[in-house]
Amino acid sequence: MGGPNANWNRSRDEKLGEKSLSKLEPSGVPLKEDDIEKQKVLTVTYHPNTKYAWATGVAVGEFLKGLKAGVITGSKCDECGRIVVPPRLFCEWCFRRTENWVKLPDTGSVNTFSVSYITADTTRVKEPLIPAVIEIDGTSGAGFLHFIGGVKPDQLKIGMRVKASWVDASKRQGSITDIKHFAPSER
Amino acid sequence: MNPTSSKVEGDFPVYFRYTAGIAGERFLREIKDNGKLVASRCVKCNLNYLPPRIYCERCMSKLEEYVEVANHGTVETVTTCTQDSDGKTFPEPVTVALVRFPLAHGGLIHKTKGQLAIGDNVRVVFKEKAKRIGSILDIEHFEKVA
Repeated sequence: MGGPNANWNRSRDEKLGEKSLSKLEPSGVPLKEDDIEKQKVLTVTYHPNTKYAWATGVAVGEFLKGLKAGVITGSKCDECGRIVVPPRLFCEWCFRRTENWVKLPDTGSVNTFSVSYITADTTRVKEPLIPAVIEIDGTSGAGFLHFIGGVKPDQLKIGMRVKASWVDASKRQGSITDIKHFAPSER
Repeated sequence: MNPTSSKVEGDFPVYFRYTAGIAGERFLREIKDNGKLVASRCVKCNLNYLPPRIYCERCMSKLEEYVEVANHGTVETVTTCTQDSDGKTFPEPVTVALVRFPLAHGGLIHKTKGQLAIGDNVRVVFKEKAKRIGSILDIEHFEKVA
């Protein structure tokens, strides 16, 4: 590379060569949370604009509309008769369009679960979160994720009967969180 | 779009916390405590870096000497913004200028009081001491001087 700065660049490179990178003394300043909390160092906090909007699609749109009304909606395939929840627009077994929405009971059984002492943003909690896959009664081979509540972790069992615990009708927003959690129920 | 489709809105909880670094910390503390601008000096290259940094970008020397910079300078360039970085319209347009300072290498970008033109002489107006928090916003704006 030529240009007016070519000579200057060369002399800088020679100087760098004398003092190889490995010989440069480290100059980092380790900081602890306490240093920041006690304002030993100045800090700036920043929350970028990370808003998003997500189109639910037809089937999930139908599902969320149902939740607002306190109903769990599935889709039924007219070809194989299988009912899945959350509903989808096609049957992945028959490759048929499935627009036959069916109202399902808000009861089911636990397919699998996990006991978590940290939240999604890694905050530690004393009362564990229990995410689980619930198989809603009347469906086959499909379940959806929700939390289990009102039960001690050592009482959890795969296959245990659960029922949806709903948010008050006036406060429902057409969201999966319109169901607070699934709680154990006797059959 | 099919009428049964709907949208879900949300916001990711992404929060950043920045520190200013050794030279940035010194710079901000001089503003906060003393209402002064400082640059870091490379004796070898005879350059005063503003805002200060801890290495000379020419000779790679570690810079540990700080010198006071005059709090008045010259407008190098100026622009008027009508939107913030998210594209949201400001209630009032905001004019920002890059100001260079005598004997300093670099410059500062900040809001201006009123409209300014390239070449205008300006001074740095600091917030009153009790209101300073150790931020670049401890500088209120650049103000034109006769």
